[in-house]
Amino acid sequence: MRAVRAGLPLLVVLALAAALLAITTVAREISARAGFLVERPVVLLVWLVGLLLVATLLAWVSRSAIRRADTSVSLWLLILAAVALASPLLLTLQQHPSP
Amino acid sequence: MTRRLRRTRRAVAGLLLVAGILSFGYVGVSSYVAEQLVYAAPIPIDKTPASLGLRFAYVTFPSRQDHLTLRGWFIPGVLANGRLTADRAVVVVHGTRTNRESKGDHQLQLTGELARHGLAVLAFDMRGAGESTPAPLSMGTLEQRDVLGAVDFLRSGPIPIPELGRPRVIGGLGISMGAATLLMAAAREPAIQAVVSDSAYAEVVPLLEREVPKRTVPVIGHVPGGFVPAALVMSRVLYDVDFFAARPIDSIAAIAPRPLFLIHGLADDYVPVSNFHRLNAAASAPSTAHVMTWLVPKARHAQAFKQTGAEYVTRVVGFFDASLGADRSLPGAAA
Repeated sequence: MRAVRAGLPLLVVLALAAALLAITTVAREISARAGFLVERPVVLLVWLVGLLLVATLLAWVSRSAIRRADTSVSLWLLILAAVALASPLLLTLQQHPSP
Repeated sequence: MTRRLRRTRRAVAGLLLVAGILSFGYVGVSSYVAEQLVYAAPIPIDKTPASLGLRFAYVTFPSRQDHLTLRGWFIPGVLANGRLTADRAVVVVHGTRTNRESKGDHQLQLTGELARHGLAVLAFDMRGAGESTPAPLSMGTLEQRDVLGAVDFLRSGPIPIPELGRPRVIGGLGISMGAATLLMAAAREPAIQAVVSDSAYAEVVPLLEREVPKRTVPVIGHVPGGFVPAALVMSRVLYDVDFFAARPIDSIAAIAPRPLFLIHGLADDYVPVSNFHRLNAAASAPSTAHVMTWLVPKARHAQAFKQTGAEYVTRVVGFFDASLGADRSLPGAAA
């Protein structure tokens, strides 16, 4: 059970990323009807607000998971969550500059 | 609770915090850069072909596939005897952050010269440019549909000047992003029977990775280079703009056996001449390829016509004459 709790931030990272993409896609579809000049800022705004909410939720989940983590498995799961969180940054930086 | 566990927890918490702040900050800034990247404010059009003493018609047609409204001019060709013709039409495709007039590379003058040499010209604003529908800038990926829409218009749309009839053959001339876009469109559309590509890039991502950090965007100023790869990814995620697909190098070979004329300035420091060599090699690969080339000494990016003037016109018109054949129109309207 503790391991499950410790794995929660990792699951939350994945679930929230998917949810954020879904919300942004919906926002895009709706705002696109008003034209690109409306769609462009609306999509960015939805995405940035979504990122902020996701970050807040993730911080809250991670905080409680860290408090309960008292085995090496649960600590490793939290490290895995940190790696998953940093992976987009690491992957894109690794590609830069392109050959 | 042991001291060691407490220390480990603190370290893990720190790791999560740093990873979170860096990642969310990175993605947030990159998203903003993407939003700036996919938009180019339309530039108004000041002059029309009438300023060159040419007859023309305003035309409106939809892009292929997504049906965005595009606007342009149809300029009939003027034959040596003064008669107008629409027998051979050339679709002229402008570059990035400009329009069908394109003052920077004198495109209006170029289209005027083509018309005076008997070639009808369809010069139009691609999506998001000039008077056409606002839309994301994708450096050719989506704009191909506009070129294909122009071809559809010439083949089956309303005839712009009815007394001249419908064009018999269609060629294309593109400059910079317009050239890259035209190459990709021509590879898909056999109705484009001859292509002039002036200052095209082989692929756009290396160009963006080099050029975007030189630009300033509101709020953050110069974009650090490290944000560009993520901004390109975010352009795809948020706006469906796939800069990674803007790669004429992958499809240029499909233009063969149709004639292709590649032009590039030797002093081009925006799209380096290595792009020309790569495109030439790829285009010449099929045994049926018919590729002509011209490296223009001292010409900077998209400045070959501006620099060489009459020589440019002679070479391009000669290419179209050889590729599209002579004008076969019946006697019609007078200029």
